[in-house]
Amino acid sequence: MLKLIQAEFMKLRRRRFVWLMLSAALFMPLFALSYFQHIGETGVEPIQFYKWAAFSYTPWIILPVVLGMLCTMLLYDEHQYDVCKQLWIVPIHPMGYFFSKFAVVLFYAILFMCITACASVLAGIFSDCTIWDGSSALYLLKKCMEIGVLTAFAMLPVLAVAASQKGYILPVCVTLIYTFLGFILLMVNMYLHPLSSMTVIVMGDVPGVVLTQERNNMAALFCIGIWGVVSTAAANIALHRRT
Amino acid sequence: MKQLLWAEKQKLRRSKLIWITMFATIMVAVIVFAQGQFVFHGSRYVDNAGWFMTAAQSLATFFVFPAVIALFGSYMICREEQEDTMKSLRLIPVNEPKLIVAKMIITLAFSILIYLLLFLITVSVEAILHNESLSIGLVLEFLKIYFLDGVGVFLAIAPMIVLVARVKKGYWLALVFTELYSFAGLFTSMSGVLKVFYPITAVFHVSGYYDASVIQIILSGITLLLCGGIAVMLLVSFQKKHSNDNRDGFRHK
Repeated sequence: MLKLIQAEFMKLRRRRFVWLMLSAALFMPLFALSYFQHIGETGVEPIQFYKWAAFSYTPWIILPVVLGMLCTMLLYDEHQYDVCKQLWIVPIHPMGYFFSKFAVVLFYAILFMCITACASVLAGIFSDCTIWDGSSALYLLKKCMEIGVLTAFAMLPVLAVAASQKGYILPVCVTLIYTFLGFILLMVNMYLHPLSSMTVIVMGDVPGVVLTQERNNMAALFCIGIWGVVSTAAANIALHRRT
Repeated sequence: MKQLLWAEKQKLRRSKLIWITMFATIMVAVIVFAQGQFVFHGSRYVDNAGWFMTAAQSLATFFVFPAVIALFGSYMICREEQEDTMKSLRLIPVNEPKLIVAKMIITLAFSILIYLLLFLITVSVEAILHNESLSIGLVLEFLKIYFLDGVGVFLAIAPMIVLVARVKKGYWLALVFTELYSFAGLFTSMSGVLKVFYPITAVFHVSGYYDASVIQIILSGITLLLCGGIAVMLLVSFQKKHSNDNRDGFRHK
């Protein structure tokens, strides 16, 4: 398994676009910077600034879309270049293959959020919007790591769809719809969709954040877990059919 | 050109793309309807006549449709390289830039069609829920908004699609940036000036979703035409590069 994961990371070195997609991590910190400069506010509470820069649309929209594209890219390229046949000949267990892809997605999500965290701290300090506060920066980093890990698990359904398809159209459309659904359900029922459940766990204790429903971490974890298990089982069936 | 358009239409008939995007459109309507169940001041959003038609087109434009349309356009362009049919097309010989123009025209038609499909779904739901409050004038007004949204969104993302045609392997990146580009409209809509000039929100000025003065509508229209102009310029430079490559190829032979 570890060798498979190592091989996946070695493949990433040749994929320029995967690394270029990381630039999307700078979008919200730069937006927060321009927003606070536009309204002319300085000395903002660091948490207030980070809520804009890292805790809002990055976990709701940007990270899920980027991870969805990554899942599709990782699996589609191997179908396109017929690498899968060779992997099945080795032989590699389909679930080993699936989890090695998931390991890449997990690593990428954490890296993405770490970049967002660093960019948020730097944007706040260099624009004089916030002052340096070690404990707030550590809190931001901790929350970003949580977002990275939980979003990777919340994207398991998209990874399963990508694994069951030869093309990329359906997984990309599913990514867009899945992300949109997660965002909309934040206002309706937070415990139906893994992405909105992730928001309950991560944002529930951020000062100043009011959730539309009562916070229940167990229900949120259960939602992410159920979707994850069902997706993994579906991917297992789809990949076994293909071998 | 007529033949190219016919060929593209035939190719699409065999592809699952149309069905998948129709599914995406239906899902957008379902999701927005789910949002309409949110209770605010004692009544659900969806209980207000016209809310569903208004919310569906704006949310779809900010979150889903630009990326779906870019996906459609870029898929049509990139599939020739991916499925190795470009070589056969070059042998005919087909003028590559003309082929891309044909694909762009199909993408424009597709953009209008998915907005009209969304309109059809939303107007049907509104007719069931608020039959008495729905006037012909209101329906026609929304039909105009949806139609112009389709045209405008295509113009706004046309440069992205042409860029994909040039950097063929970069369609993943183009999709991510189209999504960011469309959803950034949420923020530009907060500023009175930016929302006139930012292409995604400019679409709403032109379509009539935003209340705007004549000057604002003209400025937004110019912005969208500029986007279309940039796409044409990119296509022209693409054509020049293509003819230079062909000339160099002949000289080499």
